[in-house]
Formats: sequence, structure tokens, C-alpha cells
Amino acid sequence: MAKRFSVILIFALLALAIAACSGKNGENNGAGGGNAAGSTNESASSEAGSSGEIKVGGSLIFGVGADPLELNPIYAGDRVSLTINQALFAPLFQVNNGEKTFYLAESLTPSEDGRTYTLKLKDGLTWHDGQPLTADDVVFTFDAILDEKQNSMFRSNLILGGEPIRAVKVDDRTVEFRLPQVNPAFEATLVQLTPIPKHIFENVANIEQSEKNLYDVVGSGPFKFKEYKPGEYLTLERFDGYALGKPNLDSITYRIAKDSNAALLALQNGELNVYYVNPQDVPTIEATGKFEILPYSEGRLAYLLFNENSANGLLAKKEIRQAISYALSREEMIQTVYSSGEYAEPAKSFVTPDGLFWTNDVATYDNDVEKAKELLAAAGTSNPKLTFIISSGNKAMEAAALYVQQKLKAVGITVEIQSLDASAFGQKFADASATDFDLAYSGYIMGYDPDAYRILYESDGDANYTHYNNPKVDELFDQGAREPDPEKRGAVYQELQEIIAEDAVIYPVAYTKTIVAVDKRFGGIEEAVLKPVVIFEDPSKLYLK
Amino acid sequence: MRQLIAKRLIQTIPLLFFVSVVCFALIKMAPGDPVMSFVTPNMHKEDIERVRANLGLDKPAHVQYWLWLKELLKGNLGYSLVNHQPVAKLILERLPATAGLMGCAILLAVILAIPLGLIAGAFHNKWVDRIITFMSYIGISVPVFWLAILLIYLFAVKLDWLPSMGMRTIGVNSAADVIQHGILPVSVLAFSFLSSYVRYVRSSTIGQLREDYVQIQYAYGSIRRVVLFRHVLKHVLLPIITLLGMSLADLVTGAIVTETVFSWPGIGSLGVTAIRGMDYPIIMGITLFSALLLIIGNLLADVLYGYADPRIHTMR
Repeated sequence: MAKRFSVILIFALLALAIAACSGKNGENNGAGGGNAAGSTNESASSEAGSSGEIKVGGSLIFGVGADPLELNPIYAGDRVSLTINQALFAPLFQVNNGEKTFYLAESLTPSEDGRTYTLKLKDGLTWHDGQPLTADDVVFTFDAILDEKQNSMFRSNLILGGEPIRAVKVDDRTVEFRLPQVNPAFEATLVQLTPIPKHIFENVANIEQSEKNLYDVVGSGPFKFKEYKPGEYLTLERFDGYALGKPNLDSITYRIAKDSNAALLALQNGELNVYYVNPQDVPTIEATGKFEILPYSEGRLAYLLFNENSANGLLAKKEIRQAISYALSREEMIQTVYSSGEYAEPAKSFVTPDGLFWTNDVATYDNDVEKAKELLAAAGTSNPKLTFIISSGNKAMEAAALYVQQKLKAVGITVEIQSLDASAFGQKFADASATDFDLAYSGYIMGYDPDAYRILYESDGDANYTHYNNPKVDELFDQGAREPDPEKRGAVYQELQEIIAEDAVIYPVAYTKTIVAVDKRFGGIEEAVLKPVVIFEDPSKLYLK
Repeated sequence: MRQLIAKRLIQTIPLLFFVSVVCFALIKMAPGDPVMSFVTPNMHKEDIERVRANLGLDKPAHVQYWLWLKELLKGNLGYSLVNHQPVAKLILERLPATAGLMGCAILLAVILAIPLGLIAGAFHNKWVDRIITFMSYIGISVPVFWLAILLIYLFAVKLDWLPSMGMRTIGVNSAADVIQHGILPVSVLAFSFLSSYVRYVRSSTIGQLREDYVQIQYAYGSIRRVVLFRHVLKHVLLPIITLLGMSLADLVTGAIVTETVFSWPGIGSLGVTAIRGMDYPIIMGITLFSALLLIIGNLLADVLYGYADPRIHTMR
């Protein structure tokens, strides 16, 4: 009797479990979702406003993957800090597709000889605490970055040929930057120079350790600091005195969501309004019908790295690099790694499409297995073996490595895949003396000025992970950095793109797009300008519909 | 008893020193570079090297350890390499969140485990016991993060009864709100602890029920419930005390996965981020803190054990 009972009970439990599981998969649409934390304003005031009129009010919640490290622009280098800083601090100006948008600055005029830049600030600018924002703050920021004791990561950007650039105050609204040599890339450097308040930091001995970098941050951006609960969220509220006019939203909150699966659930539940999504998750989010899926160019190149320093000496030979490139098919690889051509455009140049003087019209070795075999035979290698390192858990790298392994096998090259833990991978990839790996799948975002790439391709470049050594390339980069005439400059970088493509220094795969899901209740996305890393260039333009 | 306590406390110092050396050595031997976690290809080598020197990372390992130790003896746990905030402050501000979460989970687990274990033991091999044992096997085998995601999906997304992440609703500062956010994480943790506690209690009960004093109670006509809950319970509590003593350190580090999934702002998630970024001051701080708690917890357990069971003669 007892035995039979127990059997029945066990079956009953199993049946319950199975019923629960299938019930879960049946529906995809989230429940009413009225649990949106923080967006309580809008349920009362529904679409009463006529179209064309932007409502003021509402809260936006971003999901971010970690706590911000330092909210001080002279230190911020991680994605979260940079994203939050875009709302807390206003830059001098920004550049998109070659066009300048002025924020704190009114104008930037280079001199005839290109060695002096005059920056004029707008009138009536203030910090969040009401103090005026003047040329003093700009000069102070400049000097703080140059000050070795203050430990800013950006210091070397302000040093040209061993000499520092000098910032001189002309009057309360004007600053002159005096360069030791002509450098058209200086504009791109200024884009990243966001002023910090002199009156807060001027007597601080060690700015890096200041608590003002995470709490009660005083900035000049559209939103000012309200509260920060470490590990939980950081809230900003509207700053009426913003240089480009009063922002629409009442507040923005950055919610820390460390686990991406849980974050996706929170997104569906309305507890997050904006979050990065992977191509694989797009269908689930789209199915809820509550989100706009916005892919946009990240200014990023995903590429296959050839380590010319590798002990087996194989990749140092141009023919072998070309052979490997021929063995691969760019289109196929994009489909394999990114599951759709929608989120990645084929790349042939080492420069990204948002970069000045970019051209995809360069030599490319792609998808010709016969040619690959020919080149390998001519190079006379027997049983070539290559090591491909990947960072464990990185899906894109794993997919790329498996694809390359398979394709190279077809032309007679054996590829061994080595999976390393993320820190170990990072260390080995950047190790200039590493000779035990050949291939890696990586990516970079360098900004819009092509001079930024010299660090990757110059023989003594700090980030020359391929260890490519071509004196002609070094010469051209040097020339391009000094050439003030845009046309001549363009020709230099055109040649550079052609040479590097010809030499098959890397195998460029794709210009990847970032995908962001934004709650449909929010508008003004186009005006806010989707931008790599920080998502929105000007969050003041966002509004609740 | 007093001698035992004194002896233990004196042993703590060399023990902690040993733990700190081993921990530091392991961190330094592991591949990975703290500076790499906030460096991008755009940065020049001179800047990276300068930052590395400023953080003291270019010195040999034993020098770095010595500098850290010197600061520790002055009472300073150091600063995070990554965001330059004081380590002591970082740990203390997150301690209540983790301690609260783990404390509630352990308490709930113990409160439920005792009766469940007693009943399972008393009805040994009957169907009640089978069900309880089966559930505890599930609880031990189910991965915590899977259960967490499942519960979030069920209760937050589909039923919308509970919030899915964090410790608070944005901008709200009430205890009730924290409790509402805590229900899911505490349930997940309690379920997995419960499952192992039940098994301890159950086997202890089975053992106790064979003892003479139990037979005598039945001979005197006591009913099962009284025998179980008034007499056997006391004996069964002994392994629980040891368990709880050792769990004191868990109050700090026991909820790593749960905290990450629920974005609960506790020490566990601080520790994981620190480990990924090779942020050794934080790792050392957390390790020392939990080592200290483990030692104290064990001591407490031994002392309580001595009081609970007069048969145990604590060392003289």
C-alpha cells in the first residue's frame, strides 16, 4: 500500500514539473508589466499630448554591466563610466561624419600655420552647483591631465614629439592651445577633453582618490548627480542650466545588472528601458513588441590577428598570410560569427567607416581555396600548425576559431584552439614577447581620426600586436600626422590602407554593429544621436512619449 | 573554557598571516594584470607604465606584499587598484546586504530543516521520508543560478508578483521594499541550504532514535511528537551548531552566484569583480575578513558545543 502510494506520488510530482515547464515555453509575451520601477509618472499621464509636442518628464533606466569606476573624465576609461559621463558632463564639441556639433564651445579656429588652436566657450555656462564655467576650468583640466602626479591615462595624448601642448587663457571665454608641431589629429584629442571643475579640484592633492569622483559629482552636462548606491544604481536628475537647453526627462538611472540573462528578463519586465542585446537575443526581445531594436555602427573593426612574432615563423611570411586569407570566406565567416549580415558589414580596410579618409576599395584576399593551396605549396611549408587563442566564454571568438580551424584544415593547415581565461587571454594577447600563439580574433575602436591607428601598425607602436614591421608604413603615418592639407592627408591614408591590405597584415572581417533595445515609450533617439560605447551622445534630447 | 578561548585567539594571528601570504602568492602567480582591466588599445605605453608604477605593480611581489602588510598593521586595508576607493569602506558598505541575505537564508533553512529532518528520520523509509529525501536531492543538485533565473522568470516576468533584480526600487528607501526584493534571493539560497541541512538532521535523528533513552520514553507512554521534539531535538541540534559555526564565514562569501544573478549589492559580487580584474587589495581584504570570521565561528561553535553537551570536555 505504502509502496504504491509512493509511486503514484512520484509520478504526480513529475507530471507537475513537466506541466510547469511546457507552460513556460508556450507564451512569450510578458505579463502586464506595470511593475516598471521609477517610471510611475507615465501611467497617469497617458498619450494625452498631441503628436509633435514633446512632453517634459519621465525617467529612463539604462542597464549597465558593472559599477562605474571613476566618473571623472580625466580618468574614465571603462564603458560604464564613459556612458554615465555623457549625461553628467558636457564635452567641448563632438564630431559625427566629419561634422562638428558644439556643446560647451562656440567655435574652434586653427591658425594659418596649424600650430595654434583658439577655442571660444559659449556665454553664461555654469556647473551643476551654479559656479560659472570658464576658460580657467579648461586650462585647469588640461594641466591636470599633463600633471604626472595626477596619473591621468590621457597624458600622452597631449604630448607631441616629446613636448607638451600648452593651454593658455586669453580671456574668461577663450583658450589658446599652442602645439609644438603641426598635428591635425589634435581636434580628435579635443573631442575627448571634457572640462572638470577647477573650484572643486584645485586644492586636491590626489584627484584620483577623491570621493568626488563617485559621489556628488559636479559636472556641466544635462543631468546632475542625485544619488549613487554602489552595486545597485546611480540616479541623475535634470539640470535646467544645460548649455544646449533644458533636457526633457526628469531623471536617468543607471541600474547595475551584472548577469546578462537576468538583465534581459528585467528588460522584458519593464525594470530596464535600455540595454545592449546580442544578435541571438533579438528575436526574444522583438517578440515582446515593447522595444525598438536599434543596430548602429560601433566604429569597430573585428579582425583576425596574425602574430608575426610567433616561434614557427610561418605568419611572418606574407604569402602564408595571403594563403590563409584566401582560404577563408568573409561572408561565410560573418554569417557564422554574427548569425546575420544585418549586424556586421564586410570589412576590407583596417580603418572603420566612420573614420576620415576611409575606403573599402583596397586589395583583398578572400574565398579562393585553390589560390590558397597554390600559395602554400609555393611557400614550401610542410604540415603547418597554428595555434589560435581564444578567451573562454567569448562566443564570437569561439565561433570564429572553429570556423577558421575548419576552413584551414581544407587547405592543409592544422589549427589548434587554446582556450584561456579572460585575464590570461588579455595578458597574452598584449604581450609583446609572446611567441607561442599565431592567431586570435579581436576587435578595436579607434575613433574617427586615422592617426589613432599608428599605435597599432607602426613598427614600434605600443599596440602593435601583429608585430608588423614596414618602414614605409611608419613613414606614411608620420607624414599623415603632420600634414595640414586635408587632400594631401587623404592621399597618405589611402596609400596606407592599400599597403596594409596588400601585405595582409590582418584579415579584416567585419565592421560590427552594436544592438541596443530601447523601450518604445521613449522618443528623441535620432536627435540624441546613437554613438559607440556611450549609446547616446546627447541624452538631453530623449523624452517620454 | 577560558583557556581554550585565549589559546584560540592567540593562534588567530599567525593563522591570518599564513592565509594572507598564501592568498597573495596565488594572486600573483595567476596570469592576468590588474592594469589590463582598464586599458584600451588607444592608450600609449608610457601612460600604462606610469599608471602601473603609481599603483606599485612594477615592484617585485614580496615588496608589494610587505608594503601591503605595513599598511595593514597601521589599520589601513588599502585602496582598490581599479577605482581607488578604500577597501575597508567598500567591504563595510556591502556587508549588511550580504549578511542580511545570508542570515535570513540560513535562518529560514535551519527553521525548516529541523522539523523536516526530524520527521524524515522518524518515518525513516516511509513515503514521507522518501519525498523529503527526494526534494533534498533535487535541492543539492540543482544549480543555484538556474533556479534563480527560473524563479525570476516565473514570479517577476510571468506572474509579476515580485521585482526581478536589485535590492531596492529606484529612489525608494523603505525596509518593506528591501524585503520584497529579498524574497526571491533568500528563497533560492534557503532552498539549497535546506537540502543539505535536512540530510544532517535526518541521519542524526535516525541515529538518536536507536538510543536507549528513546525506548525508555516510549516505555513511559510518551507520544511520538513529544519524544521527537522535546528529547531528540536537543541531541540533533549538535551537528547543526557546528554547521552554523562554520557558516559564519558564509555570511560574507556564501552568496556569490546568487548576488550576481539578482544584482544584489553584496560582497560576493564585489569579490567576483575584484578577482576578474586582479584587484588584489580587495581580494586580500575579503579573504582576511572571511578567514577571521571562520576562525571566530569555529571557536563559537566549540564553546557552544561545550555548553550544549556536558559530555564534551573542551581542551584544558
